[in-house]
Amino acid sequence: MNLIEALEVLKQPVPAGSPSIRVGLACGFTPLHLQTFLAAHLRQRMPGHGIEIVPGLFGDLAGNIERFASAKCDVLAIVMEWADLDARLGTRTLGGWRAENLPDILQSVDLSLSRIQQASRKSSGAVPVCVCLPTLPLPPLFATATRQAGAEELHLRSSVASFAANIAQESFVRIVSSQQLDELSSSAKRFNLQAELAAGFPYQVSHASAIADLMAALIQNPNPKKGLITDLDDTLWSGILGEIGVEGISWDLDRHSHMHGVYQQLLGSLASAGVLIGVASKNDAGRVQEALERKDLILPKDKVFPVEAHWAAKSESAARILKTWNVGPEAVVFIDDSPMEVAEVKAAFPEMQCIVFPRNDLAAIWSLLKQLRNLFGKSTVSPEDLIRMEGIRSGGALREMVTGDASSADDFLKNADAEIEFSFAKQALDTRAFELINKTNQFNLNGKRLTEAAWQEYLSDPATFLITVSYEDKYGPLGKIAVLLGKIQERRVRVDFWVMSCRAFSRRIEHQCLKQLCERFDVTEIIFDYQTTPRNGPLQEFFAAIAGAPMPAQLRVSRRAIQDKSPALFHRVKELVNA
Amino acid sequence: MHDLDLRLTRCFSSVFPDLSPEQVQTASVQSVRGWDSLAAVTLLAVVQEEFGVQVGLSDVSELVSYQAIHNYIRSHNGVS
Repeated sequence: MNLIEALEVLKQPVPAGSPSIRVGLACGFTPLHLQTFLAAHLRQRMPGHGIEIVPGLFGDLAGNIERFASAKCDVLAIVMEWADLDARLGTRTLGGWRAENLPDILQSVDLSLSRIQQASRKSSGAVPVCVCLPTLPLPPLFATATRQAGAEELHLRSSVASFAANIAQESFVRIVSSQQLDELSSSAKRFNLQAELAAGFPYQVSHASAIADLMAALIQNPNPKKGLITDLDDTLWSGILGEIGVEGISWDLDRHSHMHGVYQQLLGSLASAGVLIGVASKNDAGRVQEALERKDLILPKDKVFPVEAHWAAKSESAARILKTWNVGPEAVVFIDDSPMEVAEVKAAFPEMQCIVFPRNDLAAIWSLLKQLRNLFGKSTVSPEDLIRMEGIRSGGALREMVTGDASSADDFLKNADAEIEFSFAKQALDTRAFELINKTNQFNLNGKRLTEAAWQEYLSDPATFLITVSYEDKYGPLGKIAVLLGKIQERRVRVDFWVMSCRAFSRRIEHQCLKQLCERFDVTEIIFDYQTTPRNGPLQEFFAAIAGAPMPAQLRVSRRAIQDKSPALFHRVKELVNA
Repeated sequence: MHDLDLRLTRCFSSVFPDLSPEQVQTASVQSVRGWDSLAAVTLLAVVQEEFGVQVGLSDVSELVSYQAIHNYIRSHNGVS
C-alpha cells in the first residue's frame, strides 16, 4: 500500500454505529505516515470498524507506554527505534559518539529497556500489546568498520533480544517478526535521513507501510484454522501408491522427493500444536493403511485422523471428516495436488480454503509451508491443544454409544469415571478461556465475541464472574472445555457468555454447569443473554429440552426446572476457588 | 486536464479531501487552512511517491502552492 492509497482508504466513511478500536501508538519519533498506514491497514483488515490511532509525545517512548496504561485504549502498539533507547543512537541529537561514551550508551539502553519492559507488563495486564523492535540500521558510531559487528553493537542487539524474549512470555504480548519484516522491506531502503532531520520521522514511506501492515496483522490477531485435510499421492508423499506400491512412494533426498518429507514434517509440527490432520485420498484403503504403517513416515500415523481412503468424491470425504471433527468448513484447509479435486471440494465448501500442492516447484512448496504456518499460527500451545486429537478419537466412539437408549447412555456415563473441575478463579490472563469464547460456534449462548480489551474490561468489573470447566474421564482428559461469564444480581445469576467445545458434547457437562451455577451462587433463577445464531443448534436443542421452545432473548430458567429436567449426572465435581 | 495535473490533483485531494478540483488548482499555504507543517510533509511524500521525484531539503520551503509543486515536478521530472 502506498501513501496515497492509504489516504484514500481513510477517506471511506465508517457506517454509523460501527464498533471502533482505539489504538495507542507509542513511539518516540513523529508517527506521521506510520499513523496513517496503521489506520489504513487496520481499516482494510477489519472492515466495518472505526479506527482511532492515539499518538504519544515526541521523544518519550517509555513515558508514552506508561501513560497509555491508563488511557483507555483497546490495544497498545509500540514501535521502537534505537534512538528511543538512547538519543545518541539517532541522528537528530549530537550527544557524542566518542569511544568513552559507549559504555554509558550501553548502560542507558539497558535501563531504557528495563523501564519499557515494566511499563509494557503493566499495560499487557489490561490490553494487548504489540511490539516492533528496532528496524533501522545503527549509526556509524562504533570503532569497528561497518562490515564488522563489534562487541558493543552485539551487546546492544543482545539486550534488545533479551528484552523481546522476556516480554514475549506475557499472555497478551505479540512481537513483530524481524524475519518477516526483512522479507517485506529491504534493510537498505528503510532509513529516511531527510525526513528524520526535517520532521523527526525516520522511515521511508514503504518501510512505514511494511511495519504498519505487520502491526495491523498482530492487532487483528485472526483466529487460526483448526484442521487440515491432505491428499496422499504426490502430496504427502511422492508417487502414486496404486502404481508403484508401498515401497515405491518416497519422501527422501535420493529420489528427489525430499520436500514431501518436509511437508510431512510441517504437518507433524502442526499436529503437535493441536491442529487436526485428516486424509482424503482416492486410493485402496488397505494399501493406504499399509503405507501409513511405514516406520520412516515423518508424520506419525497416530497424528492423522480420520483417514478417508476410497474412490468416492473428495467432497464426500471432506464432509465426513468435518463431521468427525465437528468443525465448520471455514476452519479447515484442504490440500491436493490435483487442481480438479481442489475445485470439486471448493465447489462443495466455498468457505473452505482449498490449495493446490505444487508439483516439482521447490520454491512454491516452500511458500506453501509458510502459508500454512500463517494460517495455523498461534501465540502459545495450550495443554488442550496437545490432547485434542485423542479427545476427538474417543469422543466419536462415545457419541456413538451415548446416542443409543437412555439407560445404556446412563450405564456408559456411569462407568466413564468422569471428573469435572470448576474453576472460579477470575484469571484475566487465561488465554484458553478467551480463545474458547472467540472460536466456539455450536454450543455458544449468543455468538458474541470479545476483543482482548473488552475481555479485560469485563473481568475488571467486581460484579462479574468467570468460570472455566475442565473435564477428564477414563478415556483421557479433554482439558479446559467450557467457559461461563456473567454477573450476580441479588438471587439471580445473569450469564452473558457460555461456550463449550464440541469435543465435550454428550457427556452432560452442560447440565452439570447449570447445577453448579445454582449451588455455587445459591440462586433461584438464571437469566441467559440468549440469541439464536445460524451455528448454535446444539445449544438451542439443549435449552429447548430444559426451558421449552420458543426461547426469548432474555431466557430465564428456574432452579426447579434445572433440577427436574436434568438427566442423571455421574461426574465427580471438583471446585477450584483460587487456581 | 493534462496527466500531470490529474495526478497532482489526486495527490492534493488525498491530503486535503475537502478541496474541489477547482480549488486544488489555486491551493496554497495561504488559501488552505489545513496546510500545516504535517500536511506539507504528507503532501510532499505523496508527490514524491506518485512522481518518483526527490524533493531536496532546501527546496521544501519553496513548495507552498499547487503551482509551485507543479513547476517543480516539470523541471525535475520532465513530466508534461
